[in-house]
Formats: sequence, C-alpha cells, structure tokens
Amino acid sequence: MNFELSEEQKMIQQSVERFVQENYDLPNRIKISSEDPGFSKDYWSSMAELGWLGLAFSEEEGGFGGNQIDTLVLMEQFGKGLVLEPFLANIVLGGGALKRSPATHLKEELIPGLIDGSLQITLAYAEEQSRFDLNDVATSAREEGNEFIINGKKSMVLNAESANKLIVVARTSGGQTEEKGISLFIVDSSADGVVRENFPTVDGLRASEVSFENVKVSKEDMVSEKDEGFEILQAIANDAILALAAEAVGAMEVLYKDTVEYTQQREQFDHALSDFQVLQHRMVDMFMEYEQCKSLLFRATMETVQDPKMAQRTIHALKHLIGKSGIFVGENAVQLHGGMGVTEELRIGHFFKRLLVIDSQFGNADFHLDKFTSL
Amino acid sequence: MDINLSSDDLAFRDEVRSFFDENKIKSGEDYFSWRLGWFEKAREKGGWDVPKWPEKFGGPGWTPTQHYIWEQETAQANIPFDLPFGLGMLAPILMNYGNEEQQERFLPDIRDRKVNWCQGYSEPGAGSDLANLKTKAVLSEDGTYYTVNGSKIWTTLAHVADWIFCLTRTDDSGIKQQGITFLLFPMKQEGIEVKPIITLGGSHTVNTVHFTDVKVPVENMIGEEGKGWTYAKGLLEHERTGLAGLSKSLVELEQLKDNARSIQRGNGNLMDDSSYKSKVGELEIDLLATEFTELRSLASAAAGGEPGPESSILKLKGTEIKQRIQKLTVEASGIYSSAWGDKGAGPSFAKGGTAGYLNSRYFTIYGGASEVQKDIVAKKVLGLTKGSSK
Repeated sequence: MNFELSEEQKMIQQSVERFVQENYDLPNRIKISSEDPGFSKDYWSSMAELGWLGLAFSEEEGGFGGNQIDTLVLMEQFGKGLVLEPFLANIVLGGGALKRSPATHLKEELIPGLIDGSLQITLAYAEEQSRFDLNDVATSAREEGNEFIINGKKSMVLNAESANKLIVVARTSGGQTEEKGISLFIVDSSADGVVRENFPTVDGLRASEVSFENVKVSKEDMVSEKDEGFEILQAIANDAILALAAEAVGAMEVLYKDTVEYTQQREQFDHALSDFQVLQHRMVDMFMEYEQCKSLLFRATMETVQDPKMAQRTIHALKHLIGKSGIFVGENAVQLHGGMGVTEELRIGHFFKRLLVIDSQFGNADFHLDKFTSL
Repeated sequence: MDINLSSDDLAFRDEVRSFFDENKIKSGEDYFSWRLGWFEKAREKGGWDVPKWPEKFGGPGWTPTQHYIWEQETAQANIPFDLPFGLGMLAPILMNYGNEEQQERFLPDIRDRKVNWCQGYSEPGAGSDLANLKTKAVLSEDGTYYTVNGSKIWTTLAHVADWIFCLTRTDDSGIKQQGITFLLFPMKQEGIEVKPIITLGGSHTVNTVHFTDVKVPVENMIGEEGKGWTYAKGLLEHERTGLAGLSKSLVELEQLKDNARSIQRGNGNLMDDSSYKSKVGELEIDLLATEFTELRSLASAAAGGEPGPESSILKLKGTEIKQRIQKLTVEASGIYSSAWGDKGAGPSFAKGGTAGYLNSRYFTIYGGASEVQKDIVAKKVLGLTKGSSK
C-alpha cells in the first residue's frame, strides 16, 4: 500500500494550487460567477492547454492515461478555490459517458474536443420524480425506423447553458424504474424540440431544466448499447461522487483552517476566541471530520481504480460521510465566525454553500446510508 | 397540575379565534390600512394591540396561559406583521427607566405603529461580548447634547427605521459594563450612514450603521448616564425568550410533514423513509418538551417577575429547532435544493427553502451565540465558575 502521489501528480497538484491562488480570490470568483456563462472561458482554455482536461482519458483517446486518482488531485485543489469551470459536467459526466461508450465513432468524433476545451458536453439524467434514483427514468426514446424520438424533461442539468451537446438518459423499454431499458443518447443542445431554462444554483454555478419534445436522433447517436445504459450511468455517478468528494475535502480544509485562523485573531471577553476550550474542541471535531473524509475518499478512489465493482459499497459510505461531515464543518465554520459567517462578505459562507449543494448531488447522506446498509 | 384549559381559558381562546376570523383581510383591501385598522380594533378589545405590555400602560393583563393561547393562535392565523423593536424591546425600557415625559413622548407612537425603531447594540469588534462597545457619546460643555461617533453592526431594518435606541460609551475608565449610556435619536439625519449587509440567503435585513458627529439632546437619554448596560441587560433576557419562536415552529413542523408527504417515494412518500421520518420524529419530541419548558418559564415569570436563566435554555433549544426544520426542508427538496431563485421545476416549498436554511444559521449567533448562552447556564444555573471546585 502506498499513499504517495507520483511525481507527475505532485506537479499537477502544485500547478492547480498555484492556479487557484492566483485566480480564485473571492471577489474574482463572485465576478466570474455573476457574468455569463458563469465561468471563465479563458481559464477553461488554460486548463485545456495545461493538459488537465485530458488527464483521465486514455492515450488512445488522446489523453494522458490517468484515472480517478488524477481527477482526485485536480478536484481537491479546485475545491479550495470553489472553481467555477465546468470540469465535473464536461469531463467527469460527459467525458465519463463517452469514455465508456461502445460507439467508437462518437468517441473519435467528440473526445478530442472535450480534451482541447472546444466542445462542451454535459449529462442530463435526473427527473422531477426521480429524486436520487438513477434508475427512475420516464423520459422516453421511441424507435422509429432509423431514428429515435425523445420526449420528456430533465432536471438540474449542470452547465447545460453552455453545453454544445447533451447526453440524455432515456428509456427505450421497460417500466419507469427498471434498470434494463435505459439508453444514453447524444443530442445537440440546439436541436429542434430542445428547450433549456437556465438558472444559477445556490453555490454560484449554473444548471438548467431541459425539455425534449419530439427530438429526433439517429441510431448513430446512441452512446450506450440499446437498453443497456444503466451500467454506464452508474459508473459515471460513481466517478462523479469521487470527484465531488475530492472537491468537498478541499473545501472542508479551507473551512477548518480559516476558522482556526479567525478564532486566533478575533477577541471577545478579553480573550482570543481560540482560548475558549469549547471552541477548541469544536475545531478539533471539524478537523477530525475533514481527515476522516479524506481517508474514506482515498479508500474509495483506490478501490475504484483496483476494481470498480468492489468499490460500490465504499462509494456509498463516502457520499454519506461527505454529506454529513461537509455540512457539519460548514455549519460550524459559520457558527464560529459569528455574524460575519452568515454574510456574503467572507469566503466561509460560499464554501458552506458549495458543500450543501454537493450533498444534494448524486444522492444525499440519507440516500447513501440506505444504499450502504442494503448492500 | 392540570393540563386542561379552564372554561375561562377555552372561552378566551374562542374569543381570540373569532376576533381573528372577523378581522381577516378582505380581498382587494389595502394591506397597510387593514393593518392599522386591525390594531385599532385589537386596542378596543382591551389592549390586544399590545399583549405584552403591563396593564398600567394599557396592556391586557393576561395570565401566562392566556399569553400562551395568544401565541398559539397568532402562529396559525393570518394577522398583520409587527416588528419587535419598539413594541417589545424599547417599550419595556421606557416603562421601567424612562421618565414620564419620555413615556408620553414615545410610547403612543410605538403603540400606534407610527414609528419604526431599530436597535443599536452590536458593534463590529464586540460580537456576543455586547458590553465591549466603543461608540462614543461626548457631552457638550453646556451639558445640553451628546455628540455620537462610532459604528453599529447587524442593525436589523436600520434602512427603514425612523429612530434608533442606541448603547453608547460615555466613560471608559471603569469595567466595560459601566459607562454605557442609553440614547434615542432619529435615523434620518446628517452624520448617519446605513450600509446593507447581504446574508447568505441573499437578503438584505441587517446593516452596518456609522455615526459621525451625530448630535443627541440630553432629554433623549434614558435613565442615568453610565447605567445603560443595566437597562439593556434585563431586556436581553426578554429578547432571548422571544427568539425561541416555538408556536411558529409547531406550525412549521406540520407544514414540513405535509411537504414531505407530497414527495412520492415508491408506493409511499418521504415520510415513509426511515431516516427522514426519524429526524422529523426526533425534532417533534424536542419541540414537545421545549414547548413545556417555555410554559414553565412563563409560569415562573408570572409568579416572580423577570424571566430567569431558563430563558437561556429556550433560546438554545428554540433556535436549534428552527434550524432543524429548515434543514429538513432542504433535505425534502432533494435535487431542487440547489436551485437559486424561483426558476426550475420541483416542489414549490423548495423555492427559497435553501435560502431560508442559510439565513437560519444566524439564529444560533444573534441575541448571544449559543456558546455564550451555555456559559450563562453553566454560571448562573449550575454555579460553575473558574475556581468553583473544591
């Protein structure tokens, strides 16, 4: 067993860390977030040039042959700056689908664009009734000759506003919650019948409700085998959980460290706040939660690289802990910062919001506890 | 001990209910003129417009049970909004420490909801250590006015307030609780600058307020110079009881359950989900207990005057309960909890639910942070001070 990063990974880690320090102070983040498209196209190009977008793609696909550990390295640093660029949407979700696709023509056509940053592809999977169940898919894709006709609505689609293409999870057969019968299609976001309603999310990112009315796609646009898309979807969700958990760990580190620093400076009742034992213990708890999350993140990521099937239960455990501990650390960072913690003026609150959103994505703490105990 | 309401209390409850029912806003009616009319009619009922005021100042002189009934009924009825600053915070101080002239000058306008007040206590450097305040008031040589300089923070609704009641420092030679003077002055005047603070929920309720050479005539000082802390402290206990907001929480809990039942899960709904159901259950159990802690506190206050240290328990429990209700609303919203604003699909309660949760984090901070409340309980109730062990 070895927890050391490779030399290349260490270099990447340092370069992302530097990028975040140079570009992601709070005022700049707020500025980027408030202007369309909600991230910096320049930063996105830089990320492509630095090779970050291609890290987790194989060499045949034009990438660097990395895996979830490389994504962990990136996402943890992104988490320390609350980076807005759509790495999760395009690389982990969109790229994750294409990487696992049996359709070689789609991979050849689309992955290079993802890696060089010229193409944006996100994943539309959730629906109003589905809550966190990946298998609950009402959106239909009806086969007609050489085409499929897609009808339905997808919810909370990350970065759909700037996506050129959407990977749509739709039902080609079976009942609404059956795993079999789910297929993945790639659809032009400007295709006839695709309507996007865009809005900001709590954490300053962007999402959309996307409706599909008689949207025609060809058989060539099928990303999965017909009826067999669930396994791919589950694998993408697992990757997304690992990526989000890494981001959360980065955010939790900032929160606990900022809190330790603040309580040493802030004086009340003629003492630094950090002199009060009750607050010291609270910060120890925050620190412990952070370390435990990091341990489980390493465990789940290393198991996934070894054998994704074996890792499933640990991934549920991870998402449960990240949700619970992330909110614990966030709430307490705010509490220990007092009134200032509840304002938009300190970065504390922004990190807390991101952790709150992370809990609601790909299943919250309760959902994964239930999955974990049922496996 | 008897949990049943007496026939008198039941009759009172019916009277309150029918009053609320008879004076509901009619469709098309102007809200603000309805509001003023409502208070007018409540006044005619014998001080129902100022339920917490003592009889001497026109209040209804209710028993603790009647107050409890009123709280419960107001939480469920659609009655006009009211702000606590003049009515619940300043008025008791005026009644106890103001002179007759000040009472006549300020109380009627407070009662008529004509003047909006804000509270100038917290300061940027002070936090929960409220007495550590630096806003200076210097008496003029001729002894006719004070000149106020300094800053206040977290001043709720300062941007719409007409007047402020303000703690200022007139002497810093003694311990920090001494030398504090309680002043009243208008907000709309030169030398006062109000700046908004936007909270995590995206709303503007609180502000920072800066004073530059604001002149305040000495007749606007309450009580004696340097004794303001004593006046404010008694009030804080009142404020902390009020912050528990239990009746409202009971109504919100029922709403929460309805919301959760509207979320379909398989053949049932979210209230069938074991984790979620447990959390709602634990919350309700805490609420049932806290409701009676409040009643016990009210009863002892009625018997002995000022609410005691148990009011600290109420603020601790009551604010935590409010936060848990908000958190469970976020959880019920599922994927829609991350949508900001009113766009997107999902249940209607998800809109603004997360903003409400984020703003609710303030509940365990303002009016004395929970950690400070626990210190008070440790010291005053358990007798734990440094060196108290034998």
